[in-house]
Amino acid sequence: MKIKTLVIGLTLCSGYAAAAEPSDKQSMNVIPQAAQLCVSCHGAAGEGIEPLGPRLAGLSKEYISTQLQHFQAGVRQNATMMPMAMTLQGDGIEQVSSYFSAKPANDVKPVLRGEQVVFNDDTARLAYQGDWSRGLLACVTCHGPSALGGGLFPRLAGQQASYIKTQLLAWQSGTRKGDVDGMMGSVANKLTVAEIDALANYFANLK
Amino acid sequence: MKYSAMLLLAAMGSLTVQAQAETEPVQERPDKQAPLPSFPKVADQTYLTPRPLSAIPEGAFGDKVRLGYQLFVNTQQLRDKYVGNELNCTNCHMDAGRKANASPLWGAYFAYPAYRKKDNKVSSFEERIQGCFNYSMNGKAPASGSPELVALSAYAYWLGMGGLMDEANISGSVPEISDAELVKGAKRDDFPLPEALAKAMTVEQRANLPGRAYPEIPKPEQAYSPERGKAVYVAHCQTCHGVDGQGQAIAGVYALPPLWGAQSYNWGAGMHRVNTAAFFIYENMPFGKSMQLTNQQAWDVAAYINSHERPQDPRSKGDVKQAQEKYHNDSDYYGVEVDGKVLGTEAYPIFPKKS
Repeated sequence: MKIKTLVIGLTLCSGYAAAAEPSDKQSMNVIPQAAQLCVSCHGAAGEGIEPLGPRLAGLSKEYISTQLQHFQAGVRQNATMMPMAMTLQGDGIEQVSSYFSAKPANDVKPVLRGEQVVFNDDTARLAYQGDWSRGLLACVTCHGPSALGGGLFPRLAGQQASYIKTQLLAWQSGTRKGDVDGMMGSVANKLTVAEIDALANYFANLK
Repeated sequence: MKYSAMLLLAAMGSLTVQAQAETEPVQERPDKQAPLPSFPKVADQTYLTPRPLSAIPEGAFGDKVRLGYQLFVNTQQLRDKYVGNELNCTNCHMDAGRKANASPLWGAYFAYPAYRKKDNKVSSFEERIQGCFNYSMNGKAPASGSPELVALSAYAYWLGMGGLMDEANISGSVPEISDAELVKGAKRDDFPLPEALAKAMTVEQRANLPGRAYPEIPKPEQAYSPERGKAVYVAHCQTCHGVDGQGQAIAGVYALPPLWGAQSYNWGAGMHRVNTAAFFIYENMPFGKSMQLTNQQAWDVAAYINSHERPQDPRSKGDVKQAQEKYHNDSDYYGVEVDGKVLGTEAYPIFPKKS
């Protein structure tokens, strides 16, 4: 009882700190109103429910909020997510992106560029060295070592393979846009269907 | 008379330009990062293609080449030892130093040793790389003959030699040469080469391989402007390099590098010059080239990026004006007042420790 009062008191006193500190256990376990609709497809901890919804835990707040805006604006087209995003009014996007970005990411050990020089696996080579003869950049340049993601670049490590695949196809078909200067669309358009499959599986299974 | 002279010049074409550039010393200053002359890009040009990394041989020589690659893409493993910022070689030399028109290592390797008139000095390849460490990496260069300089030289040599051998239909692995030969560079008559290759091209031809350096672009239509450059930056650069130009780290790695401030190249680096940066940007940015900036945009954004404070010019003896007169005033902002402050007067430390 006493301890609980103390905790509440501290939380109230340091309201800002608590909001900005995602490791605070209590605030993490409360699903904000705006996010309650999300969890049926994305899971209570944003862990993702295949094939209903991709993993959100491990994505940055900046990325989640930008994508929700893209769904609202229709630059990212998806029959389910467009109306869902429209339900987020006021500070809804802020609440949802704060909540899910604070959820713990799956544990993946970052492998840095250069740790491996020669790749026998074409897919791993594509991820780490690209194929500049086709103007294809290494995925890890923007998505980070082991594609852990950060800022506007989503984490791919441990994401569902089916989701990564549908997204690369959406970039190709143009139903997903909103990247600055068509950067990601340009990369996706250079990938073959087989490479898309292989990359999706590669990133999904990074440990 | 004037017209005919101009016509003649035009008719003589790139050869004339090349000869002029050689004699008109762009590299007058005692500047380890003085650029070798750049040339405009030629349409439909083919470029040397290095062999795939899987072709690096087993053994001690191959180990040096592999280490060179590793240092090149993860230069941060030398942080606090030789590197004083968050950059990696591959930030400016795309595709791990293999891409044409992104100052490829294979192009540079055959262009050194290079003679510089004003210094009356010949710089070897390793001395050029030492310049990269002291200026671009804001660090302290490894000693001559050190394993790092040997490895980087070996990687550059292997990339270039394999590509040239393939062009000349010479099969087999790249000849192994000694460390002492490796660090000198290949622009010399006594450089060990397979005979067929020595006959195929002159030393001068090998020193000017198409795709070397960053291709020169025309002067901007309007004088370059940091103000206009800021708009270009916001629209096309800041997603990756950040609102504040500080890049973005993921898992501690700045694959998207800081462009100014304490963690970027210093005031002595080649990239601090607006022309060098404009050449680089026009050809290589935005990363992946999903769009092409205009000539004017490239100059303007280069001016914007390079009109911010960065680490001090290591050649400065403490007086910005003096250092400016001696080493700058050359398409750059060192010693120039921007937003009420003279750039260089609040420069960041040289070779600071990370932690």
